[in-house]
Amino acid sequence: MKKQLSGLAAFAAAVAILVAALLLANWAPLALQKETLRRYNSIEEVRAALPGKMIYVPSYFPQQVSWPPSKILAQGKPFLASVMEFKRAGSDEAVLTISQAEGPFNTDRDIALTTVSEQVRYIMKGRTAALQVGTCRNGEPCSRMSWHEGGSAITVTMRSGPFELTRISESMLH
Amino acid sequence: MYVVQSFCHSLVAAVLVDRALKAWKIYSPLIRQRFRLIVILFPIFSFPLYQLINPARSSVFFRMEALFDSSRWLTLELGWGVPVGVLFFVMLGATSLVFLLQELIPVLRHTMTPKHSVDEGTHFDAGTFVQDTAKVLAIRKPEVILIGEDEPFLFSATGREAVIYLSSGLTRMLSSEELRAAIAHEMAHIARSRRPLLVALFLFRIVQFFNPVVLVKYRRAVRDEEKICDDIAVKLTGDRGALARALKNFYQKPDKKRVLSSLQSSSANMSLEEYGHNLHLESRIARLETEQTGPEPGPLAPFVLTLSAVMLLNYLIV
Repeated sequence: MKKQLSGLAAFAAAVAILVAALLLANWAPLALQKETLRRYNSIEEVRAALPGKMIYVPSYFPQQVSWPPSKILAQGKPFLASVMEFKRAGSDEAVLTISQAEGPFNTDRDIALTTVSEQVRYIMKGRTAALQVGTCRNGEPCSRMSWHEGGSAITVTMRSGPFELTRISESMLH
Repeated sequence: MYVVQSFCHSLVAAVLVDRALKAWKIYSPLIRQRFRLIVILFPIFSFPLYQLINPARSSVFFRMEALFDSSRWLTLELGWGVPVGVLFFVMLGATSLVFLLQELIPVLRHTMTPKHSVDEGTHFDAGTFVQDTAKVLAIRKPEVILIGEDEPFLFSATGREAVIYLSSGLTRMLSSEELRAAIAHEMAHIARSRRPLLVALFLFRIVQFFNPVVLVKYRRAVRDEEKICDDIAVKLTGDRGALARALKNFYQKPDKKRVLSSLQSSSANMSLEEYGHNLHLESRIARLETEQTGPEPGPLAPFVLTLSAVMLLNYLIV
């Protein structure tokens, strides 16, 4: 029994050391390369960290969406990509995500269309976008608009019908 | 994604398994081999399993909160603009080549063209030892065939009719006790081949052909198999020294280029083990000469704890 317990203690210590090593290894690339995917506190911070890169931000926000974004992730390498997550006003629930990426960039988490009931081509300010309407994981109505802009694929996903979504998307274009 | 995460998961599993074996002072090759199965088998299923549990695990949000995000390293550019990912995939390519040349091709070759056949030699009379040992192991008595070659070798071929092949050179080299110990070792392989774990494991291992961690751990599992059979042989003969001396004879052969491909369990396994440079005789001899196998802690609790730690930690490694 004593041998078992001392073994358990030694193993627990090894696990703790391994976790610390993994955390260190996870942090090191952030220190070595500033364009690695990381969290930012504001869009200004992103623009300062990735100078010369165009970050698309909507100028219209419905009242139900709280500003500023609750989460901003961005990277400059291996390709430009960013994602912003917005909470519902007065709530902790993510209601809107806006992503742009020059390569494969999976942003599906809280808001992800699991079923698509309708998909149409939507023309906005001379761009052709794909508008999808369906439901998210919990069965709530969700909609998604995606199009290409300046080499990036832009996707706006919202936990609502398409009306506000199209207005938000259009406000990103000039 | 699968390839990268399999590698990371196997690496973490390997570290944890090694630590567990040390922490609980597990020396039994049988139990050690079971622990190594975690490293070999788990990475095959971990990625699809985790994705099934949480489809959003591959999202950038999850990655940001992960314990370790492999993509950070893979996209990290080195001084001359080459990302670390390129070096990583070169390493996996080299591992795949090693697997192909040292494992897959030799296995296929040995499976298709057995090295020796029963017709090549004559029946070797080992007295009642083989008959008695077969009874203890609850196997059919294998045929023992003497091949008239000076090169010392001893190996067994399993299958429907198990056969043990030994060379006349070997019979001249070993004393009768040593020969009995060596034959007992081969019979242990034959007995264990009724449940051919290594062959089954090899089939799974093929899926991880690119994975250097699995490559190393599979080879260790093969070495464990030799030690397991050593233990069985010692139990059968009651003479640790005879087997150690038999192994020493092989090891101390002046013509080391012609090291025995001996004490192997089957024609298929023979090549599997051949790739491990014909056994690690030194460690086996040392173990036989020095190790006093005492009682070990019950392996179930450490095994479950280790597996749980591997599963939990790897979930957070993307």
